[in-house]
Amino acid sequence: MTAKTASIAPLGDGALLVTFGDRIDPGLNERAHGLAAAVERLRTTDPRLGRAVPAYASVLIPFDPVAVDPDEARRLVAALLSESSGQPPPTVEAERAGALVEIPVRYGGDDGPDLADVAALNGLRQSDVVELHAGTEYRAFFLGFAPGFAYLGPVSTQIATPRLAAPRERIPAGSVGIAGQGTAVYPFDLPGGWRIIGRTDVAMWDLRRDSPALLRPGDRVRFVPQS
Amino acid sequence: MLEVLEAGVLTSIEDAGRPVWTHLGVPVGGACDPWSLAVANLLVGNDPGAAAIEMTLVGPTLAFREPMTVGLAGADLGGIVRESGRRLVPGRSHRLEAGTTIAFPGDAGARSGARAYLAVPGGIDVPLVLGSASTALGAGFGGLDGRLLRPGDVLRAAEERDEPGADAVWPALADDPLAAAGSAIRLLAGPADRLEALVAAEWKVGSGSDRVGLRLEGPALEAPASGELLSHGVVTGAVQLPPDGTPIVLLADHQTTGGYPIAAVVITADHPRLGQLRPGASVRFVATTIDEARLALSRQREALARGAAAVRTGSAWDELWQSAGG
Repeated sequence: MTAKTASIAPLGDGALLVTFGDRIDPGLNERAHGLAAAVERLRTTDPRLGRAVPAYASVLIPFDPVAVDPDEARRLVAALLSESSGQPPPTVEAERAGALVEIPVRYGGDDGPDLADVAALNGLRQSDVVELHAGTEYRAFFLGFAPGFAYLGPVSTQIATPRLAAPRERIPAGSVGIAGQGTAVYPFDLPGGWRIIGRTDVAMWDLRRDSPALLRPGDRVRFVPQS
Repeated sequence: MLEVLEAGVLTSIEDAGRPVWTHLGVPVGGACDPWSLAVANLLVGNDPGAAAIEMTLVGPTLAFREPMTVGLAGADLGGIVRESGRRLVPGRSHRLEAGTTIAFPGDAGARSGARAYLAVPGGIDVPLVLGSASTALGAGFGGLDGRLLRPGDVLRAAEERDEPGADAVWPALADDPLAAAGSAIRLLAGPADRLEALVAAEWKVGSGSDRVGLRLEGPALEAPASGELLSHGVVTGAVQLPPDGTPIVLLADHQTTGGYPIAAVVITADHPRLGQLRPGASVRFVATTIDEARLALSRQREALARGAAAVRTGSAWDELWQSAGG
């Protein structure tokens, strides 16, 4: 698949999945958000379409299977693709796209029970892991898994660490984890297999906010070590 | 108002779900059997997507502190009025006097479905969160304090409508999805096309099934050797293939994104039947086409509209009579 092509494939009778590539790449992710934004604009006048779900390098576009036939759905999406590719860097929500969000984190100890393992597995000191994790500005590629759970990355290959073989039944809200080259903050107490290196008190999900998710797709994120 | 005396196995407030927050990772949620949610609501004059009580396998015991007419639809979970022994069959409205207690002890019959819906006038009165009354169990919001119902909970109907004598009956309809219970669930090929393998085998619904997904026990289905896939948006009805080879059919509370290969996708018209599969039930699949899928959903919507009209005009018995004869 070349940089400018996209595959459009049905996912059941009521959705198309548009895929821009098969790797984690900011450029592909920008294209996904560009298309999702274009779908949202069209949706204001075409209620047959559902909310687009962007991910690393794809967009799921639901539609009413009775009101839209598959050929028309394809034509609509193809038109949006040519429209969104001709635009300046696409934004999910222009007024705050790419905002820099700083998240204070207490690393290690009870807050980060896997910090020692992440250091040992990578032949580093714990302080090196903290420095590398907090020294990188991450991109919020997309939200999934749970409300407000943003897939951030990429983390330095020096601290990239596979998931736990056996997931934990409960990871406390605010836990900061690493899985492969991804990093994320758990918005709620949830089961999960990410390696937990720290914890924040910042609410990732708060229904009292206009947008309950602290992080939105396309945001930039930096973790700030708290002593 | 009504009070929950016993909660049942898995009882929650559900409506048509919250479909427009998926980009923030919020599951669509809502009734696992949207058809029966609609029927229960229409029986008491509500919008088809109003908030109702969803109960699973064994339902709650509820005490009515005021007279109320409720709509009941979906599986027959053995509903009964404790004081009189009167059976509460699904597909009808039921008038309940103040001081009565109703229970849903469950029905071990293998032919019975998994879920029933109890609707009250105007819907269950709970605050809307992100536009919906559905319970987001993982995140803990929506419904009643974001959790399953439990003893001591008090629920109110959004409207005070007291219509004694308004005895609504849902008509027997062609294209009623629950009338087709037991026949094969219809599939379209997924990106990792393992449709033939799904169709060839007989499957059993595993005990680890919940509102998130149905686990299918049968021959292990190897995922295609395409390696780890990038997570992407997924849909209800998608049949995922995790590494252990046990297919999972996604239901209403599924995560918005997933990275497992998708073997096939259940057509939208068969979602109500997915929501009625109980652990231990056997399941067969059959391949269909997009045209048939669209036709089936279109006919199902027409059937719902016909049923709604019959209930409104009180002509359900006429309709029943006609469909029995025709």
